[in-house]
Amino acid sequence: MGKPKVAFYWCASCGGCEEAVVDLAEDILKVVEAVEIVFWPVAMDFKVKDVESLGDGEIAVSFINGAIRTGEQEHMAKLLRKKSGLVVAFGACAHIGGIPGLANFVNREKIFDWVYLNAPSNDNPGKIIPQEKTQVEVGELTLPKFYDTVYTLDQVIDVDYYLPGCAPPPDLIMKAVEAILSGNLPEKGTVLAPDKALCDTCKRKTTKPEHASIKEIRRVHEVMLDPDRCFLDQGIICLGPATRDGCGERCINANMPCRGCFGSTSRVEDQGAKFLSALASIIDMNDEEEIKRIMDSIVDPAGVFYFYSLPASMLRRRLDI
Amino acid sequence: MQIRVGVYICKCGTNISENIDIDELIQFSSRLENVAYVKDQPLLCSEDGKNFLASDVAQEKPERVVIVACTPKEHEKTFRNTLLRADFNPYLFQMVNVREQVAWVTADKAAATEKAKAYIRAAVKRVTLHEPLEKKEIECNTDVLVIGAGPAGMEAALLLAKAGRKVYLVEKNSFVGGRVARYEEVFPKMECASCMLEPKMDEILHDENIELITSSEVVEVLGYLGNFSVKIKKRATCVDKEKCIGCGACYEPCPVSVRNEFDYHLSDRKAIHVPYTGALPNVPVLDQGHCLRFAKTDSAMVQEALDLGLITQEESENYKKQDCTACQEACMFDAITYDRQDEILERNIGCIIVAIGFELFDPSVLPQFGYGKIPEVYTGLEFERILSQTGPTGGKLFMKNGQEPRSLAIIHCVGSRDKKHKEYCSGVCCLYALKFARLAEKHAPGAKIYDIYADWCVPGKDNQEFLDSLKEKKNVYFIHTNLPLSVAVKQNKDSLSVSCVDVSGKENPLAADMVVLCPAIIPARDTSRLSEMLLITSGRDGFFAEGHTKLAPVSTNIEGVFIAGCCQGPKDIQGSVAQGAAAAGQVLSALVPGRKLELDVIIAEADENSCAGCMTCIGLCPYKAIMFDKEKKIAVVNTVLCKGCGTCVAACPSGCLTGKHFTEEQIFAEIEEVLK
Repeated sequence: MGKPKVAFYWCASCGGCEEAVVDLAEDILKVVEAVEIVFWPVAMDFKVKDVESLGDGEIAVSFINGAIRTGEQEHMAKLLRKKSGLVVAFGACAHIGGIPGLANFVNREKIFDWVYLNAPSNDNPGKIIPQEKTQVEVGELTLPKFYDTVYTLDQVIDVDYYLPGCAPPPDLIMKAVEAILSGNLPEKGTVLAPDKALCDTCKRKTTKPEHASIKEIRRVHEVMLDPDRCFLDQGIICLGPATRDGCGERCINANMPCRGCFGSTSRVEDQGAKFLSALASIIDMNDEEEIKRIMDSIVDPAGVFYFYSLPASMLRRRLDI
Repeated sequence: MQIRVGVYICKCGTNISENIDIDELIQFSSRLENVAYVKDQPLLCSEDGKNFLASDVAQEKPERVVIVACTPKEHEKTFRNTLLRADFNPYLFQMVNVREQVAWVTADKAAATEKAKAYIRAAVKRVTLHEPLEKKEIECNTDVLVIGAGPAGMEAALLLAKAGRKVYLVEKNSFVGGRVARYEEVFPKMECASCMLEPKMDEILHDENIELITSSEVVEVLGYLGNFSVKIKKRATCVDKEKCIGCGACYEPCPVSVRNEFDYHLSDRKAIHVPYTGALPNVPVLDQGHCLRFAKTDSAMVQEALDLGLITQEESENYKKQDCTACQEACMFDAITYDRQDEILERNIGCIIVAIGFELFDPSVLPQFGYGKIPEVYTGLEFERILSQTGPTGGKLFMKNGQEPRSLAIIHCVGSRDKKHKEYCSGVCCLYALKFARLAEKHAPGAKIYDIYADWCVPGKDNQEFLDSLKEKKNVYFIHTNLPLSVAVKQNKDSLSVSCVDVSGKENPLAADMVVLCPAIIPARDTSRLSEMLLITSGRDGFFAEGHTKLAPVSTNIEGVFIAGCCQGPKDIQGSVAQGAAAAGQVLSALVPGRKLELDVIIAEADENSCAGCMTCIGLCPYKAIMFDKEKKIAVVNTVLCKGCGTCVAACPSGCLTGKHFTEEQIFAEIEEVLK
C-alpha cells in the first residue's frame, strides 16, 4: 500500500492557513515523507481534474481552510468530501466562519456596491460589477456565484475534525497529522485542541481579581496596555474566557487581547452570546443609565463578540436587510 | 433508543377540558416519538387522581413522565411526591402548564389546542433528556447567633431559648435593651419604657439557654446554613461579672471623669461605670480608653479625649498616667483585675439573626437647623435622655443652664423625605415628636410647644387618637410646612428664633428656648461591616435588604441569615419585636434538632476538569455559593448554599457550569420543539 494521500484546499480565507502549513518548518519534511500530497493549489501544480480522477474516498484526508461563500468553493468542498476518507476543517474560517463571516452583517448587493462602486479607491466609471455569466467575443465567461451568506465548512459538507485558529498553530497541526497517521483519532466532530478556556494557560490569569469588575470599557488604542495585567481587569474586551485554549497565547504575548479565533469550548452553543453574558456579569455598576452608557461604549458590539464566529453562531447572519 | 414516556393529561374539572380538545391532545401525544401511552384524568391532584397516578406509574413502569395540567408552582411538588410513592425518581418528570398558560388565556379552542400541543411536544422532548437527581442531606448545628440585644434581638433570643435552642446573644454595648433603654416613655400609651423592658432584660440575663456576650463584636463569620463558625471579639472590661454584685462602690473613687456617650455627652461618667442607673447586666465596665492605668502616654490620651470633646482643657490637667488602683481598692468582692486582655470567642452555630438597630442622620449636615453650633438644639435621642429619670437632668426638663424652657420647637423630617439626603420617611418621628410634645407639656407646664411638621404619618391602632388628643391642647401649636422644610434656627441673645414658612407661604417667626430635631433614621454604623462579613446585601438606603419586600421581610440573600428590627428599615418598637419573633420563627423552621438539612437538588454544578479559572462567576452568586479554589484555580459550587438560580450558569463563558435540571441541552430541546 502506498503512502496515504493528502489534499490541501483553500476557500474563503486569507492564505494564512497555507502559511501555517509552511510554518511547520522542518516538520513539514516529516509530513511530506509520510504522505503523498495529491492536491494543493497554493503550492503545487495539480488541477481539479486530478482530483476528479481519484476514486471516492481515495484521499486519506483533506485539509480545507476558509469559509464557503461562492459556488466554486461549495463545489470543491463537496468534491473533496466525496474523494476523502476524512475532512478536516482547517483554521477559524472553515471551523466557525472567521473574519469573512463578518460579511453576514451585510449581503452580496451591499458588498458589491461598496467594493466595486462606492469605496473611495474605486475607479469604475462604467459601474461594472461582476456577473456570473459574461458574453465576450470568444464565448461565454463565467464566474462562480457569490452568496449572500458566508457558511462554515460543516454547514456545506460533513466535517470529521476541526483544527481551530487564525491560523492553527504548528504544534496543533503536527499533533493532528500524527493522530491521523497513527489512526489514533478522537470521536468524530472533535475540535483538535484543548477543551478549556484560554484563561487556563494565560499567564495574566494570576493578575485577575477574584471579583473582576469593569467600570469603563476601553479600546486597545486608547490606553497604554499593561503587558502583565488581565485585559478585562484593564477594561479591555478580551474574549479569552469564552475562547478555546491551545493557541499558545500568541496575541496575549504580543499585548493584544483575545479575539476568539479558536471558537468556543465544546460546551458552548454560541461564543458571542456567551461572552456577552459573561461581560454583562462583570460590569460593576447598578445604575441602569450607567450600565447603558458603559455597554454603549462598545463600538460595533456584534463585530466584537462575533469577530470570528458569526456564521457558526445562532445568529448566523443579519436578516433585516 | 426509545425512552418510555408516559403522558398524563388532567382535565382539571372543566378548567382545561372546556377550552382545549382533550381527545385531540391524546391522539397527538400518542404519535410523538418515545411516548408509550397517554391517559387522561378528571382531576389529577385529587386523592383519587394521585392514587391513580401512583398505581398507574407503578404498573406501567415508564422511564419518564409528562403531566399536562396546571402551573408547576401549584402542583409540581404534589406530583413529585406522588411519583415518589411509585418509587419513581421525581426529576424524570416534566409538567406542562396548559391551564394558566393556555386554557385560561387563549380564548379560541382550536388555537388553544394547537398551543397545548406545542408545549406537550416540548415537554416530551425535554423529559427524555432529564437525569435522575437524588436528594442529599447533611447534619447541622441548630444553635443560633443573635447580633444586637435591642428589642428585636432580645425577642428573637428569648423565643429561641424558650424553644430549647442555645442562643449566643452578642451585644456591642455593656448593657442590653438597645436604644429603647434610653427612653423614658413610649408612644402612644405613654408606657414607662424601662418598666416595659426590664422583665424581658431579666429573662435574657437568667435564661440558661442564652449566653449573653456583652461589650463584644462579631469579627469573623465562615460557613453556611446549619454550619457557621464565628469569632467574637470581647473587649476586656476588667470586672468579673461572677464576683461583682453591682454595688457601685467603685465609681466614686475613680479620679477620671469623662462625658457619658450613653447620654450623648450630656452628662459625665467615671472611667469605671455603668452607662446609666439600672443598666442590665448591672456590672460596671472599666473603660480602658480613659482609665489612667491604660493610658498609652499622658499626652496621647489627653489629646484624644480633648479631640473627642470628652474633656475640657482644664479637666485635662487631671489626667496623668498613673498606677491608679482606686476602684480595685474600693471593691469589696475582688471583682476588679487589671490584667484582662481582649478575648476572641469562637462559637459554632446554624443560623444568624442580625438585629443591630439604627442611628440618626447627623443634622449638622443641614446648617439651617443649627445643630452642633447652637447649644439648645437637640436630636430626638438626646432629648430622650433629657426626659429620662436616669438621664443627665434626672428626668427634669432643663436646658443646659438648668432652667426650665418656656417654649420648645419640635421639627420633623430633618434629612428625611428629602431627595438630597434620605428620600424615605422614617415612619416613627411623627409619633415620637407627639410623645415629646406630651412629655414637654407635662414637665414644663404652660410652656409653648411648636410642632413643625410637613405631613402626618401616624398609622396604626391608637396613633391617630394620640395625635388628636394633642391637637386639643391649647399650648401645643402645629405648624404645617412644605417639604423640604424651610426652617432656620438662629441663636438670639436670650432664646432661639425659629423661622419657618408654612404651607400658606406665610413666614412664622417663633421664639423657642429649646429646639428638638427629628432626624432621619439611618442604618447603624456596623451595617456595612456586617454586610461585608455576612455577605448579605444592602438596599439603596444602606439598610439590609430583605428577601422579599412583602413575603420575606426578615430573610436575606444568604440562607440562614435573618434580619430584624431597624437594621432592615426604620420601624417602631412593636415592628422590631414582631420582626424579632418572625426571625426566631424562621430559624426554628429552617433548622430542627435531629432533622438533617435537605439540600436542593436543582443546583449548579461546576465541572472541575473543564474550568479554566476565569473567575467570571465568582462574585455573581447572590447566595455566595461559588468560591474560587486558590489551590486548584477553579470555581467550586457549595452545594449547600446553591439555590439553582442559574446566574453563574448563564455567565460561565466556557460552559463549565451546568444548571442541573436546566441544562442547555434540555432548554434548547424545549425551545426548538415549541418553535417547530
